Amino acid sequence: MGAALLSAAMALPIVVGTAHAESAPEKGTLSFKYLNYKESQQTSSDAIAEYGRADSKSGASAYDERILVKATSSSLVVPLNSEWSMSGTLITDSISGASPAYHTQALSYLKDFRRAVDTSLTRYLPNGTLSVGMSHSGENDYVSRATSLLATRSSENRNTTWTAGIAINRDQINPANQVVLNETKRSNEVLLGVTQVVTMNDIVLFNLGYYKGHGYFSDPYKIYDERPRERAQQKFQTRWNHYFNDLNGTSRLAYRYYTDNWGIRSHTLDAEWVQQIGNGWSAAPAVRYYSQTAAKFYVEVDPSILPFPPSPPANAKYFSEDQRMSAFGGLTLGMKLTKQLNLDTKVDVKLEQYGQKGVWILSGTGSKGLAPFYARNLQVGITRSF
Amino acid sequence: MVPKAMPLQIHRLQFKAMGSACEVVLASHTKKEAESLAKLAIDEVLRIERKYSRYTTDSVIAKINQQAGYAPVACDDETWALFEFASQLFDKSDGLFDITSGVLRQAWDFKKLEVPSSQKLEAFLPLIGWQKVVLQDQSIALPLPGMEVDLGGFGKEYAADRAAQVLKQNGVTSGYVNLAGDMRFLGPKPSGEHWMIGIQDPRQSDQVVATLPLSQGGLATSGDYERYFELNGQRYCHVLNPKTGLSVQHWRTVSVTSPASVVSGCTSTMTMLKEADGLAFLQATGFDFLAIDHTGTVHVRQ
Repeated sequence: MGAALLSAAMALPIVVGTAHAESAPEKGTLSFKYLNYKESQQTSSDAIAEYGRADSKSGASAYDERILVKATSSSLVVPLNSEWSMSGTLITDSISGASPAYHTQALSYLKDFRRAVDTSLTRYLPNGTLSVGMSHSGENDYVSRATSLLATRSSENRNTTWTAGIAINRDQINPANQVVLNETKRSNEVLLGVTQVVTMNDIVLFNLGYYKGHGYFSDPYKIYDERPRERAQQKFQTRWNHYFNDLNGTSRLAYRYYTDNWGIRSHTLDAEWVQQIGNGWSAAPAVRYYSQTAAKFYVEVDPSILPFPPSPPANAKYFSEDQRMSAFGGLTLGMKLTKQLNLDTKVDVKLEQYGQKGVWILSGTGSKGLAPFYARNLQVGITRSF
Repeated sequence: MVPKAMPLQIHRLQFKAMGSACEVVLASHTKKEAESLAKLAIDEVLRIERKYSRYTTDSVIAKINQQAGYAPVACDDETWALFEFASQLFDKSDGLFDITSGVLRQAWDFKKLEVPSSQKLEAFLPLIGWQKVVLQDQSIALPLPGMEVDLGGFGKEYAADRAAQVLKQNGVTSGYVNLAGDMRFLGPKPSGEHWMIGIQDPRQSDQVVATLPLSQGGLATSGDYERYFELNGQRYCHVLNPKTGLSVQHWRTVSVTSPASVVSGCTSTMTMLKEADGLAFLQATGFDFLAIDHTGTVHVRQ
């Protein structure tokens, strides 16, 4: 009976718990974020130990140096009037460190600098929104351009919102080692979604995504890396947010299923709890589990010849020894703290720790012979409305 | 530019609206900030009062009532949503919650201490009945001259929800809006503690029967002590059954908390109207409540 009365009240232009109708922002916001991401991986000889051949360590330290990314991001959202808003984001990041040339072995050093600009223009209509976005990202060897269009439409009572979007990406690849020259990658994406306010305290979302791309997908800096020139991906995502009145907290649960024509199938499970503490503080611990099967052209580690790269199977058209193409499971633990300093200023800090191992895969054995991979992500941000 | 973080302080801003004492309570860094925020909320309450008042001649409600028996009146989105809500309340209460029952006020004069005769009541009953109202193409038509609608049944609660929403949109995360006891909360005190809200004793207005800790959602109370008279030991209150025209008898007070003030308000009013069946109805809602029946027995959610 209570639920029936709540659903009746949802016809009214009032908002409860997590549900929100979209309208043009009344205030502009400026936010600045600093991100520090660091990968680490055990030395290759530790990985060999998995096969019982670790007689000695060849001088490398216990943890090899891996990628370090330091990035800053500045975003600005400006309401033009009650119907239009504009936003822009500028990201600069510096990447330094090393990444393996095959499997988790043979580090090759790199240093790069990237600058990306993302802009969008949104029109707020009585029953929906329309956004056009353009982005450009450039580093020494990779230039990427994207255009997107996103439309949302809400039902009369604002409890249902449908989303449809398309994106077109055009990338240009000119690797420093000149393995290839003026390569391109073109892709198109569509997204369809529905968000439903189920009760005053529950909101659920379903998204379907389809991606199709063709062009150069290989990694020019890896040994034995020849990937198909076509990639098609399908994604299904669902999310459920529930607000608990008694606890003044929100649970956010999400699941994503992904599959592509390379043979990778993945499951992602997300769980987050956002607790309002009072005094402007909120804390959000989060955990994510990810598991994927290997691409069908992934070449497994050959323990008999370690630490050398196995040759791709004879007559194989496509092959890759990139650990990202392997079968593995990953676990992320994170915590985000937010403090509302006053009505206009908010600061937040987020720390995440990620671990990845073949044996953590959901089912099956996972790829063997790869050293466990870890990453730490720290993000500090400040948002100010004006 | 980051302004120096000043400690959040609780500010109470009182005002008069809908014929009652009201207040906005919120935490902010300065009194000035609290006042400018409260003004936004108060303006919203006053907007709703002006728009839906039954005492003025130019309100939306007055215009609809003036056209009773003549012509349909087109409604804006907000008014239409309120009537759709009223329709659902009518259906879900088996016709007990009826926003056309206000004509009974013409039969009941609470100053005269007089129970209207059944003849007098019967003269008004044909003018009551939400099922007779024609709702079409976002317009409303009252088919009989003399029919009336009014939003007194949940207008104050709706205004509390709306005012709270305005504050929320402006970043308020600690405080509440209190419109003569119908309240909507925006979050706990800056210390993280709940707000402690006293529930008035229905027989001793200076006493509280309970204190409820609240930080979210809405609280509303209906009672037989707001407007009433007593005659031969029987109390006659202003909550009137639209089917019989008679004053309800069973409950002294019903307080309900739910995610929205407007939902709490219609739940407590429906409980009053359902009289002895009200307790089972309340238990079935799953909402927290505190209700005192005519014998003085206190009931809470089980």
